[in-house]
Amino acid sequence: MVNAKVLLTTTFVASTVFAQGPAPAPIAPPSAGAPADVSVKQRPTLTPEEMVNQSREYAKSMNEVLKRIQTLQDQAKREKDIIRLNCVTDKVVQVRVNISIAEQSMAALQEAVTRADEGERTHEFTRLTIVNQKVQVLGAEAENCIGEDLSFVGATRVDVEIDPNIPTYDPTQPPAPGIDIDRPGEASPLAG
Amino acid sequence: MNLRLALWTLVVVVAVAGASRLAHAQAQGEVTIGYQGLPYKAPGETQTGIQVSDGVLLHVGAGAEGGYDSNVFYTDTDPSAAAIYRATIFGELTNATRTGLAKALSFDARAGLQYRRYQFTNTLPGNAAESDYANAWMPTAGLALSAGTGQLGFGLADTFARIEDPPYASGVSIGHVITRYNNQASIEGRWSPGGGRLTTMLRYTNMIDIFDEVSGYSYANSNTNLLMLDAAWKWLPKTAIFVNAQQGIIFYLNDSAATVGKESSYPLRVTAGLRGLLTERTSAVLSLGYNNAFVSGGATSTSGFWGSSFAELSFTLRPSDLSRIVAGYRHDFQNSVISQFYNADTVYLSYVQQIAGRVALDLSGRYVRKDYQGLLSNAGATARLDNFFQVGATLDYFVRNWMYAGLGYSLLLNDANLTGAADPNSADYTKHQMFVRLGVTY
Repeated sequence: MVNAKVLLTTTFVASTVFAQGPAPAPIAPPSAGAPADVSVKQRPTLTPEEMVNQSREYAKSMNEVLKRIQTLQDQAKREKDIIRLNCVTDKVVQVRVNISIAEQSMAALQEAVTRADEGERTHEFTRLTIVNQKVQVLGAEAENCIGEDLSFVGATRVDVEIDPNIPTYDPTQPPAPGIDIDRPGEASPLAG
Repeated sequence: MNLRLALWTLVVVVAVAGASRLAHAQAQGEVTIGYQGLPYKAPGETQTGIQVSDGVLLHVGAGAEGGYDSNVFYTDTDPSAAAIYRATIFGELTNATRTGLAKALSFDARAGLQYRRYQFTNTLPGNAAESDYANAWMPTAGLALSAGTGQLGFGLADTFARIEDPPYASGVSIGHVITRYNNQASIEGRWSPGGGRLTTMLRYTNMIDIFDEVSGYSYANSNTNLLMLDAAWKWLPKTAIFVNAQQGIIFYLNDSAATVGKESSYPLRVTAGLRGLLTERTSAVLSLGYNNAFVSGGATSTSGFWGSSFAELSFTLRPSDLSRIVAGYRHDFQNSVISQFYNADTVYLSYVQQIAGRVALDLSGRYVRKDYQGLLSNAGATARLDNFFQVGATLDYFVRNWMYAGLGYSLLLNDANLTGAADPNSADYTKHQMFVRLGVTY
């Protein structure tokens, strides 16, 4: 039992160590004028299970960002702030695209873990990390979308000033109903 | 106190003391010419009225005037003078608010009563009994309903008046009191499609005019029906060009009309013109057109270019918020009791001024040239031409905006020329009336 435990521990430790890639080819002696490659290539030191768990965290976080941006979108609609709505809607679209990419990467990561394909696993995990960062940036940009309240100078108001000398009644109307009557003229007694 | 000019809007003329007529100068704020006596309805747009229920105001008023009448019986031959007293009360129920804003459905109902008494100073011609002419009771009543939305409107109105006027005296005799019952009802529909630039109105008016049997004019008891169609286009917010057509039917209720030769008629008037503001302080009515009396039975009717023409020109100037000047001319024809009709040329002038916020001055006058056509019977006269002058003046001091005291003056002068009559000037008269008056209208 003890031996198995040590074996497992050794295995885990070995897998978390950023190992070198395949044994590099012997370095040729530098020739005069040729630049030396001093870059150090790093690989994630997470275990496959940790990668899977981290990817799930990324997915959860990205969905929360999407919900938050959709809330901002609804708010802009209610306020009828067209400028802000356009900005937030653009972020929503981009976030959805990135989430779709992330979902594909997660599936590929699962497959790579199953196949114990370290290279593919690392590639997909790196991809997930980048997509998550992009989504976080989009979320921050959505929060900072500028609306009409900063560029809007106010609702249009029309003030009408009517000359007080103008009579309030409508002089274009026809005369009020009524037939004039007057005192009949003097006449000789007539049959009545 | 800020008094507004009170422009009594009359639905029907009440001939209280002589021929007081409306001059159709403007649609609202109608101009009245001559001394009108005590008011019988509340003036609009004042902060008065008793709130009887939510949205309903009761206006009440009472007034009394005493004065002198120089010629009670309208004759230049030994005129009879008398002291004259008049008292008026009225009540008016309306849902117009104190600010004057009309609701979707507005109503106005009023009733009033005037008592007049003559106190003669001399014996009457022919020893006529003073009691026959001393007292007169003249009730009035009216109802108006109006409803409308932005495009459609509806109106209904009715006015009744009993008028009792002293008769004419001729030489040594006096006729019977001229008692008249007049009821006018109208119904109208208004349509203003779109933004209200184009407005149309269709109105039907009916008038029943009844003379007391003993007055000697009962043959002229008539039923007048008038249908009017008016269309106006507001090329400016308060200035419009219009076309107006009126077709009337006048027929007489007594068989005696035919006996004296009084025929039914179908007066037609078609006019076009302009009405409304010219500037913020001036307004005008300019109307030209064609009219024809269309008297039936082959009786004398309107003829010729001038006889078939209608013209009205009226200018209103408001030099300030406290004054108004109106001047106008009108050429038309009018139905007549003593003839088929008369051609009328009228010139009128009115000046109203408010002074120092408490005093109101009203001066008005008109001249009417009445060329009677188709005389029925007039002491053998074959033609009659009257030059009629009317002047009125009122000076009121408003103790409060609902209480006033003032002076009034009225002049009626008729210069008649009866061609062919034994006395061509037998219908001449000059009548002065002077009043001191006191009243409340709340």
